[in-house]
Amino acid sequence: MTFGRLRIIGIAHGFAILWLAGCGGGGSHKSAVINTAPLVVNAGPTNNYANGLFTTVTICASGTSTCQDVSGVLVDTMSYGVRILSSALSASVSGALTQEKDANGNSVAECAQFSDGITWGPVKKADVKIAGEQASGLPIQVIGDPAFSAIPANCTSAGAPEDTLQSLGTNGILGIGPFVQDCPACAPGTTNNQNFYYACVGSSCSVTTVALPQQVQNPVAAFSVDNNGVLVELPAVSSSAISLNGSLIFGIGTQSNNSLASAHVFKLDPSTGNINTTFKTKSYPSFLDTGSNAYFFLDSATAGVPTCPSPANGFYCPSSLTNLSATNTGTNNASGSVSFSIDNADTLFSNAADSVFPTLGGPNSGTFDWGLPFFYGRDVFVAIEGAQTPAGTGPYWAY
Amino acid sequence: MSNCFRCADGALLRGIVFAFILLIGSSAFAVLGQDVSSVQSDGARIKAAVSILPGRSYSVHQMRAPSGTSVKEFVSPAGQVFGVSWQGPVTPDLRKLLGDYFDPYMQAAQTTPRVSRRVLHIETGDLVVESAGHMRFIVGRAYLRSKLPDGAAADDIR
Repeated sequence: MTFGRLRIIGIAHGFAILWLAGCGGGGSHKSAVINTAPLVVNAGPTNNYANGLFTTVTICASGTSTCQDVSGVLVDTMSYGVRILSSALSASVSGALTQEKDANGNSVAECAQFSDGITWGPVKKADVKIAGEQASGLPIQVIGDPAFSAIPANCTSAGAPEDTLQSLGTNGILGIGPFVQDCPACAPGTTNNQNFYYACVGSSCSVTTVALPQQVQNPVAAFSVDNNGVLVELPAVSSSAISLNGSLIFGIGTQSNNSLASAHVFKLDPSTGNINTTFKTKSYPSFLDTGSNAYFFLDSATAGVPTCPSPANGFYCPSSLTNLSATNTGTNNASGSVSFSIDNADTLFSNAADSVFPTLGGPNSGTFDWGLPFFYGRDVFVAIEGAQTPAGTGPYWAY
Repeated sequence: MSNCFRCADGALLRGIVFAFILLIGSSAFAVLGQDVSSVQSDGARIKAAVSILPGRSYSVHQMRAPSGTSVKEFVSPAGQVFGVSWQGPVTPDLRKLLGDYFDPYMQAAQTTPRVSRRVLHIETGDLVVESAGHMRFIVGRAYLRSKLPDGAAADDIR
């Protein structure tokens, strides 16, 4: 790999992709594509995000050089697809993106359902570039597009809209989790009762099916190379900090910088994406989520940690640093214990300059959510469903 | 104990599960804070199972929404729905499930400063709403603090 070759690839990107695809994508060839995007944990574009993991994504009108770098995009290992706030796009780029249409020529829009709310907006096709990687003609969601301002009632029935910079807290979401599409149950031939995809005539939108290739989807799976998963690399941090830098590396075992090495593979449930976490003999569905901004686990009584008084009552407030341990188990029965520490959220938040909180935790009685603090000091691999990797076929986590 | 497993497994089942289940043909969501008979005709074909836990004052109606999400409704001895919980691929129709409490919930969700991400915890007046999980796996619950019957705790609503 020489500097000269990198420059050539930079100039003749499309040609280089074709050349690499000719290698067969098996991972044995050393790809010359730059597969590392910088990550930063900071307060984000609204300057008030706690434990927010951000990167920059380039959005281009398909097949053109009409492009825009969008910074402050949340990196999310528990969702699938690229979603960009309409307000973060310039009029020239926004206007040049291709609206996805259904068979009747009606515009396709989406109500993407997250655990804490929904994002609403049209599905458009774009070339998505991150580092030296590219997903061409990828269906993405444009959130909060003023041309689609009427949110269907059966969409908001699933939660409050997060369609503005203030409510979303980011310029977009880069969903690079272990699955490809965001709603397989919305494809033709399914019962399609999810209220995810809509066909719109003017401002009137009704639920529709969307075939898998036309769904909003994980851009990594659409890359020409390094497309079997990602590696999230963040350094350890012992106490709260203003910011933290890391790397998002594409591919698993495809280049010298993304070898699994001694990482342990935890296979996950192929329908939900969950593994299991055991705390004091009781087992909970669990997951590794850069999009969750704390360790969210158990309830106050079970964890033995008090919650904070309002308004921070979604977090724990122990009187002193509390050390805990739980055991993760994959569906392949691989298991390993995780030690973590929870500190008083009110105390952590009292230093307004800080955005990195390795000891932030909160209650979550139904599941064990290993949020961003879990990733500090760990190299975490996310293998995509159906993808071949040196440790077998995804989906799995490895760390 | 093991000897008895074969000879009286019906009784043992009741003893272990502490529940008996009654299948109701077709039902739909009842509404939080209203009488259990306040079943809405939302067109859904929902099988509901009612579990009555011995030693507990309330009953639990379990059903499955068309999306595949399972929903439980917690009903007081007076027949009032004091809590609901859900788990499945998507959030159920909260407009129907929360009834009159949907608008206060929505307003609070949009005005409460959002510090926690992916875990929602809303308290507004008597109403508590929580939601967590991730795309394809959502877990949540809602309850009315003042309506918990004697013998029921908030943590029971799961």
